[in-house]
Formats: sequence, structure tokens, C-alpha cells
Amino acid sequence: MSTAALAPEWLTAREIALCPCGCIGKRRKANFVEKTIIGAANVLKQAMFSADVASQPGLLQRIQPAVKVVTMLALLMATAVVRHLSILVALYAATLAIAVASGLPLWFFVKRVWLFIPIFTGVIVVPATLNLITPGRVVIPLGTWFGHSVGVTAQGLTSAGLIVARVATSISLVVLLTLTTPWNKLLAALRTMRVPKMFVLVLGMAYRYIFYLLETVTDMYTARKSRTANHRNNTSSGRAFVAATAGATFGKAHALSIEVHDAMVARGYTGNARSIDHFQIVKRDVVWVLACSVTIAATLGVNYALGS
Amino acid sequence: MHIPDGYLSPATCGAFGVVMVPIWARAGRGVRKVVTSRYVPLVAIGAAYCFVVMMFNVPIPDGTTAHAVGGVLIAVLLGRWAAVIAVSVALLIQALFFGDGGVLAFGANAFNMAFVMPMVGYGVYQLLTRRVSLTSPRRAAAAGLGGYIGLNVAALVTAVEFGLQPTLFHTADGTPLYAPFHLGQTIPTMALAHLAVAGFVEAILTAGVIAYLQRANLPVLRINHSGVATTDEDLVAAPKLGWRWIAVGMGTMIALTPLGLVAPGSAFGEAAPKALNLRKYHLNAVPDGLRRYAGWWHHTIFNGYDFANDKHPAIGYLISAVFGILAIAIVIAIVLGSLGVYRRHQRPDRIPA
Amino acid sequence: MPSAVDIAAFDASVCAREDQEIFRVEHATFSYLERFPALNDVSLTVRRGEKVALLGANGCGKSTLLKVLDGLLFADRGSFHAFGAEVTEANLEDEQFNEGFRTRVGFVFQNSDAQVFSPTVREEIAFGPLNLGLSIDATQQRVHDVMRMLEISDLAERAPYQLSGGQKKRVAIASVLAMNPEVLLFDEPTAALDPRTQSWLIDLILELNQSGKTIIIATHDLATLDVLADRCVVFSEDHQIVADGPPGTILRDTELLISVNLLHDHAHDHGSTSHTHPHDESHHDSHREH
Repeated sequence: MSTAALAPEWLTAREIALCPCGCIGKRRKANFVEKTIIGAANVLKQAMFSADVASQPGLLQRIQPAVKVVTMLALLMATAVVRHLSILVALYAATLAIAVASGLPLWFFVKRVWLFIPIFTGVIVVPATLNLITPGRVVIPLGTWFGHSVGVTAQGLTSAGLIVARVATSISLVVLLTLTTPWNKLLAALRTMRVPKMFVLVLGMAYRYIFYLLETVTDMYTARKSRTANHRNNTSSGRAFVAATAGATFGKAHALSIEVHDAMVARGYTGNARSIDHFQIVKRDVVWVLACSVTIAATLGVNYALGS
Repeated sequence: MHIPDGYLSPATCGAFGVVMVPIWARAGRGVRKVVTSRYVPLVAIGAAYCFVVMMFNVPIPDGTTAHAVGGVLIAVLLGRWAAVIAVSVALLIQALFFGDGGVLAFGANAFNMAFVMPMVGYGVYQLLTRRVSLTSPRRAAAAGLGGYIGLNVAALVTAVEFGLQPTLFHTADGTPLYAPFHLGQTIPTMALAHLAVAGFVEAILTAGVIAYLQRANLPVLRINHSGVATTDEDLVAAPKLGWRWIAVGMGTMIALTPLGLVAPGSAFGEAAPKALNLRKYHLNAVPDGLRRYAGWWHHTIFNGYDFANDKHPAIGYLISAVFGILAIAIVIAIVLGSLGVYRRHQRPDRIPA
Repeated sequence: MPSAVDIAAFDASVCAREDQEIFRVEHATFSYLERFPALNDVSLTVRRGEKVALLGANGCGKSTLLKVLDGLLFADRGSFHAFGAEVTEANLEDEQFNEGFRTRVGFVFQNSDAQVFSPTVREEIAFGPLNLGLSIDATQQRVHDVMRMLEISDLAERAPYQLSGGQKKRVAIASVLAMNPEVLLFDEPTAALDPRTQSWLIDLILELNQSGKTIIIATHDLATLDVLADRCVVFSEDHQIVADGPPGTILRDTELLISVNLLHDHAHDHGSTSHTHPHDESHHDSHREH
């Protein structure tokens, strides 16, 4: 299967340490060293993979980045406003069509979007379908609990459907944008959109040095791993090691920031950001904008017609 | 705590986006004033560092691991305004590339993790380290406590944002349009998770890094502690306390919560009272169910809910909405209260430099 | 702020005679954080077209001197003149002065990761010319030319994390050459490079020198000194200049090199006999080449 070749094994076994609920983390029995290294490696692979996809020919790849950013934001807002499941499903189907037209393997795209957040959302909204949380017309009675009847409500089911469909559509739109736009073009698009150049400079530099710092961290962890092959993680020494690694990394990061500043000043930087990019809107961009406008107008129109 | 797109209504996202713009502008000025042209690499690499910190898996006593946000750590290391920008940039990169947190919800996420968290955590840290030397263990402990409190206040604000959604945004038949859980469910759940686990991870990492730097790399700690005495013996004058900014941060939080309440009403013309009458729920069951997992927490909340359910739905609606504001007000009262007490105690024995 | 006279002197210097001095450092003393000395009463004059090697062990102050020469650090005591005008922190705040100085002096840092900070190679190389006021078209032309010259055209849209160490070094050099500076400062240019990139870099430096560029290299690599320099300035470990002369003379002065810790007496056993012979700091490299 061609998609299997395109979607490397890390995508299917994706367990980036950046979990959707951020700080709670995943509570799984695994060595913290291993998890940190895997997380770091995944970020790198994902970035390289995105860069490869973005350079392939396809529908979205041919649209000017700034135009893409604006239309994607408009579509995101339309998605957020919609309150009917049927419209959301139609919008989601549209993102699938665009993905295919942009040369993204369908199955890969679906997996990339649904793992992990929409599925996670689906799981956490299950309790919200009960009348305990979302009152309404009970369609599936489940019995009684402490003298109260418990059941799944029509409102609860609709609500769960709405949120999962909306989350999936929103993520699809963002993934479509970032997978078909090289990072530097995206930054350039932000600049043309009057996002302060200084902010774009910071953003670009931050992204660039994530990889450098990840490498530093991975090296430190690998060194530790080679020394602690036999005994399982000892929690308190593990914590001390994490703190030392994070602390040492900050020391390196700060030294690096001074060096980078020197390198910038040496080449004439005085606090103003300048950039080389210039954009030209061509016919296909106009067509794309029109198509998106029609989609958004239709979405909002149908949404209004169906009422609340 | 990263909110994906689809959980919050566009009005909520818009409101937070609007609130964040002046905060970012202020942060930009705040950082530039301190480090002039050096601020671009400093903040950029600070943001990269923040991103990387979120990948550190910290072992916790039950044998599993979790990771921190690092907002308070960055604030202690680089200053609170640098933290606002650094964490925001890290969040934006996560939102764009790793689908972690939404793009429309970026304003809300930045408000919670890049503004509330560093401001509150750093405020706590500053309160506890007014006359403490740079190498004192109290400093590391204060940073850890700052991390714990900062994260929990941020989680509370997040829970309020979630919890207001079903009350404010639903169809005529009561179908929630966005996140479906009410304040009564979101607050205990988030509080439990963050008070019991995530807060400790945040505290461990924050305190651990500060303690490590105290031992191994003191010059780096000086970036944001230029006037602080190195050892207890050198201690002469206390650093200036930025309490005004804590108050401003808290004030914005109060101002914002009712904003979320007002904005959708005017934007979408939702007739709240009518909608509420339709929601004659089976809510009586909730207290029993929740008592099983939330214990002490829900008493306060569910008194309000029972009240709403049985007699005055409109008032209950308001109470549930205002709950978040009250919770925040309590935190502010505690912080400002202790600040006032602390200042009264400090002023007489303050030694001029 | 620089006076009008300073600026005039500065501009006049550009079309000055061939053998004119371009850098003059007088009695420069510098300490980091006012505590860690790095330069101790250092005086040095560099003339147009020279190839100068600053030699010394780690931490002797040669990198610090390079930063002083590039107007990144400023001596606590003493002075630094470039192209006839004094370079001070205040002078560099003048936009015209800053632009004039930065265009004429390029610095290739030891750590390419710090120097290659832009999202792509193309933007990296464009950074200098754009900051120094070149138009977008002129900048694009320079970026194109320099990438072709250094054979990195195919890397144009790459991100730094996709580059090897050698490629990063090429990009760093390209980003400096794009400004077409008169003076090139290199900090440990051959460190951590594979042999092929090393020899490529040495050829490039020689070529640049032949086309009229002044080259100043900080190094502790004695193996390449013969080719890379026609003048060696030796630093002692107490941050002073202790010798200044052609590489042949300096390399023969074993006693001097041992005293500044660039060579060390190294005793080891060969079976039953043992002997002593001097090793330079880069003995691994020189062994590989033998």
C-alpha cells in the first residue's frame, strides 16, 4: 500500500510528549529517558516530513501562502460558527477532497487529523451525553442511579457529534495549511499580513533553535541512558537528573542567545527586521479566494436557513 | 490544558484574542526596555527552551511520568514579560505544527498559560523572595510554589472558560454547541488533576532547575536577578516588588470573565431566560454522582446548582457563570491580602540601599 | 557620537593606499563581568592584505580580540581604530558609521549553529545585505552568486536542522561573504570539520586573500599555519601578546610554543624505551595527515 510507505511507523505509534491536555501528561509505565528521547525524535521527524510534503506538487501548494493563511482562518471561523452537524460533516468532507487534490494520501491525512485530539475529545464527551450532564429528551434509558433515571439524551448525542466534528474539521484545516506550506513561506505570509516583523523574526528563530536544543537534550539523555541500562528509573534521582538537564540546557540556551546576537550585530542588525520575500497574487489565488468565499457564504447561509 | 479549536465558541476565542493584543504589546515593550536589541535572540531561544521544557518527562513517585508547562520557570529565569512572549511563541508553534491547542483558541491558550500562569506564579515567587539571597534554598522553594500555584490558577481559568460554554452557548432545546461540561464539572475535574499531579510536576521541575542553577550556573540566574545579593551575608536591600503587575493581571482576569458572559449575548442574540426555562433538567442526580469523585469540592458549587434548579433558574444561571469570577476573586483577595500584610510588615524594617 | 570629521576620515580611508593599516589596537585591556581577564594590554596593527593568525591556547584571549576587532566587545582600557576612525560603542550607534564598519568587516564564528539563525539558507545569506541597506533585487543577486560560488545552491530552501556541520560552515561563510567585506575574521575555522571541508576552506581563504581580502584567523591548529598565515601573533596564557612574526620563525621556536601551552612535552613508553617529543594541540589532526 502506497500510504504505508508514506506514513512512517512513528506516525502510527505517535506518542509525542506534547499531549493535547498539556500539563497532565500521559501516565504510562515507561522510562522517562526513553519517553523524552522519543518525543524529541518525533518532533524532528514530523517537521522533516512536513517539509517534504510541502514541496510536493498539489492544489494547495500552488496557492500563495498569505492567501492560504487568510482563507484558512476564515474557514476556521465559519466552522466555529456552524451549529448543525450536517454542515460540519460537509465541511469535513471538503477538507478531505482538498487533501486529495493536494497530493496528501487520504488515509495518512485522516490518521494525522484524528490521532489524537478528536478521538480524545470523543472519549471525554461520552459522559456529557448522559442526562446527568446534558439534560434533555432521553433516547437511550440506562436505568436508575440513586433514585434518578439515567440515560443518553438526544441533546447530549447531538452535542457530542457537534464537538467531535468541529474539532476534526478545525484540525483538518490547520493540518492542510501547515502540511502544504513550507515553514519559511508561512513566516513570510505572516509578514505580508502585517504581523509585526519582529514577532515573525522571534517566531522563526524560536522554531530554528528548538531543533538545536532538542539535540542537546537528547545527547544528555542518551549519555544518561547508557549509564543506567540495568536499573529501572529511580524516581528521585531521575527527578534530579531532569532538573539538571533542564538547568544545563538553559545555560546553553542563554549562551547561545548571546552568540546569536553577536552574529546578528556583526551582519548589521540594529533592531530592525528586514526580509527578502515579496508576493504576487496570481489568477489561481483569486479563484481560490472566490471558491472559499462561496463555501463560507453557503455554510453560513445554510446554517441560518436551518435555524437554531 | 491546551484547548483545541472547537471547544470554545468563536466569541470566547475572539474576546481572549482581543485581550491578548495589548498584553503582547506591553510585553514587547517590557522586554525591549530591559535587554534592547538583544531581546530577539533571548526571547526566541527562551521560546525554544519553553517548547523543549514541555518535552521533559519528570518521574513522579508512582512510577509514571508527566511533563510541565514551564511558564513560571521562564518567568523566574527571564522575567515575566519575556515569559509572556516566549510561552506564547512556543504555544503558537505547537498549535501550528503539532495540532496541540487550537489556532482560533490561541488567544485563550496564551491567556491561560502565557499570561495568567507566569504572572501569578512569578507574583508568588516575588512575594516569597523579597529579602532572600540568590543562593538561598528558599528561592528554589518559592519558585516551585510559584509553579504550583501558577499552574493551578491557569487550570482554574481554563476550567471556567470550558465550564461557561454550555451555559452560554446552546441551542433552543438545550444542546450544548461547544464544550458540554458545566462549571460544576470542569472545575472539580481540572482542580483534582492539577492540584494532585500536574501541579507537583510543575513545582518539581521549576524548583529543581532553580536549585541546579544556584549550584552550577549562578551567572545565568543573574539575568533576571541583577540586584539580588548572592549570599545571605551580602543581603542589604530588597529588590523592588512588581506587585502592581500582579494586580493588573488579576484585574484583567476579573474584567474578562464577565466579558465572555456579555459578548455572546449581543453577538448572537441568544435569549438566555427562555432557553433556560427549557432546561428543566434531571440535574438533581448530579450532586450524588459527583460527591463520589469530587468529595469536599462541590459543596459550594452545588448549593448554587440546587438553588438554580429548584426555584430560580435565571439566578442559578448567573451564579454558575459568576462562580469563576468569585473563585478568581478569592485568589486575588488572598494574594493581595497577603501582599498588603506583607508590605505593612516590610516597610518599617526596610533598609535603604 | 562620531563627529563629521570621523566619518570623513572613515570614507577617505576606503580609497587609501595598498599598504595602509586597517586595524590599530592600542593597549587594549578587557575583562568579562569585570572579573575574568581576557585581554591584558594588547597592541596590534593589521595592514591591508595580510593573513594574520592569532595563536594561543584555549582561553588566552584570541577570540576576545576578534570580537573587539569586529566591534562586538569594547576594551575597558585602550583604543581600537579601524580604517582610520575610532570604533567605540557610541560611534557604532550612528547608523552610517555602523553600516560602514559592518560592511567592511565580516566575522565567521566558531559555532555555525549560532551564526546560522534564519529559517532557511536563502534568508540567512540575505540577512547581512538587507540589514546593510541593499535593495531586495541586489540582495537576491548576491545570494544567488554567493551560493553558486560556495556550491550550496541546492541548499537554498533548506532549514538549518537539515544541514550537516560542513554545510552549516559553508552557509555561515556565505552569509558573511554576501556582504563583500574587506576584512574577514575567522574564529577556529577548521575546528570540527571533516578533512575534505577543511582543505576546501583553506583553499577558499587563500583565494579570498589573493583577491585582496585581509584575513585574521584565531586558531590553535599549528598544522595548517604555514599555508593560512603570513604572520603569527602569539598569546600567552596571561592574555598578553608574547610574539609576532612569520610562521616559519614561530613554529621553530619550540620553547615559546611550550611556554604558551601550544605544545607540551609528552612522555610515553615504547616497549622498554621511553622518549620525549613535543606534541602540538592538534596532534590528532597532524597524525591523521602523516
